[in-house]
Amino acid sequence: MIRGLWTRETVALLTVAALMPLALFWIWFGGSAAVFRLALVLLVIAIWQLVFMLSRAQPPSLSLLVTALAIAMLAPEGLSVFQFVLGISFGVVIGELIFGGWGRNVVNPGTVALAFLGFGFPAAPWPVFDTPLAWAAIPAAGLGLVIGVMPSALVLAGLAVGAIVATFGLVSDPVLFAAGIVFVLLVCDPVTSAATTLGGWVQGATYGALVVLFGGAWSGAAPPQIAVAAALLSSLAAPLFDDIALRLWVHRRRRRYGRS
Amino acid sequence: MATKSEIWRVLTDPLVRQNPVTLQILGICSALAVTTTLATAVTMSISLTVVLTLAAGLISTIRRHIPETVRLIVQIVIVASLVIVIDQLLKAYFAEVSRALSVYVGLITTNCLVLGRTEAYARHHAPVPAMIDAFGNGLGYSLVLVLIGALRELFGKGELFGYEMLPLADAGGWFEPLSLMLLAPSAFFLLGFLVWAVRSWRPEQVEAPDYTPPGRAEAAE
Repeated sequence: MIRGLWTRETVALLTVAALMPLALFWIWFGGSAAVFRLALVLLVIAIWQLVFMLSRAQPPSLSLLVTALAIAMLAPEGLSVFQFVLGISFGVVIGELIFGGWGRNVVNPGTVALAFLGFGFPAAPWPVFDTPLAWAAIPAAGLGLVIGVMPSALVLAGLAVGAIVATFGLVSDPVLFAAGIVFVLLVCDPVTSAATTLGGWVQGATYGALVVLFGGAWSGAAPPQIAVAAALLSSLAAPLFDDIALRLWVHRRRRRYGRS
Repeated sequence: MATKSEIWRVLTDPLVRQNPVTLQILGICSALAVTTTLATAVTMSISLTVVLTLAAGLISTIRRHIPETVRLIVQIVIVASLVIVIDQLLKAYFAEVSRALSVYVGLITTNCLVLGRTEAYARHHAPVPAMIDAFGNGLGYSLVLVLIGALRELFGKGELFGYEMLPLADAGGWFEPLSLMLLAPSAFFLLGFLVWAVRSWRPEQVEAPDYTPPGRAEAAE
């Protein structure tokens, strides 16, 4: 998509800008270990982008910053370098690059990598998030909404469901915090989230419902794992919601204006 | 009677060029389910090859006597009888492997590969070429199963046929087993990678796209 200033790279850079509150807080709390982790993920993704650029002429994209941040923040801790690199490679190649690069992928590469790491190495402990970090997810979502890189219906639906869940105390606090961070990093991705307004509302509600369901019924799962699984399922369902929304629109239009 | 080179072609074509699993995507269900260890994969391959070859021979022998309208029922009855024999043999002599394979030996009856070969080849050819074709297809299926089974067992447990190949980290070695390899999704991934590899090696197997996107209205970058 190219409209004046808006190219794929503009969207990627503005997404990075919107995620800055979250990223800076995370680096502030994590220190040099966090920076090192982020650098490793960036390096692996950059190498794969280079490989696909040379072999298939796919232009590399700055979206690697978004993916790298999501993976570095949410990936299980205590993995060996080999396991970590394997998970990142799997997510980036299978989730994004084989579809033709960022903008053509079906699911967020970060989600794929995290799901792979979570199911592949169930013994590794998931990260625990500090409360301020979870609060930083709200300004990040707000920025994304205002700049326009995150779908507004989805963000509003997510905030609404989050508010309901928090008011009635449907899930425990750690799950709620992890769900908020995952929502901003993985679900509100401009490429793989629902593109229609109705689809966005339904996807946000689905994500919330899945988090509540997993939080209540999936015993022994860490909060980020619950949120990542909910993100994976809801982004897989997003094209379906879009399709239903479009068909409803066509159907309504047909009823009003006769056969179009 | 077919010449020698033609028989050779019928036998070797299904190995890679016309492989039933990677090209025709038949028999996927069992290929995914029984490949957690090499032993079950090999047992399954042998069972399927034997059933397929014998069924093709039998059906081809009576091919002029099977009424067109009930041919599927007749084929399934023949395949099912053979499967029951194999299943009982496995239960009698390889009880452990038989338990690991659970229902999948019984499900050879409904394996699309078996019906596909009997329906497409054995019904129109003499018994000997039909059996050769069936044996070749069985070998093609076995090739994929053994490959995926070996990869999954090697990286999932560090073993092959139950013998340790890669020393595990728990026992003082260096290898961290990938437990995902023992779950069903990894079989999908490995099969996908295998199909990808085969089709990059032989681009003529790549299918034509179902849908071509409409031309681009705006200029590319």
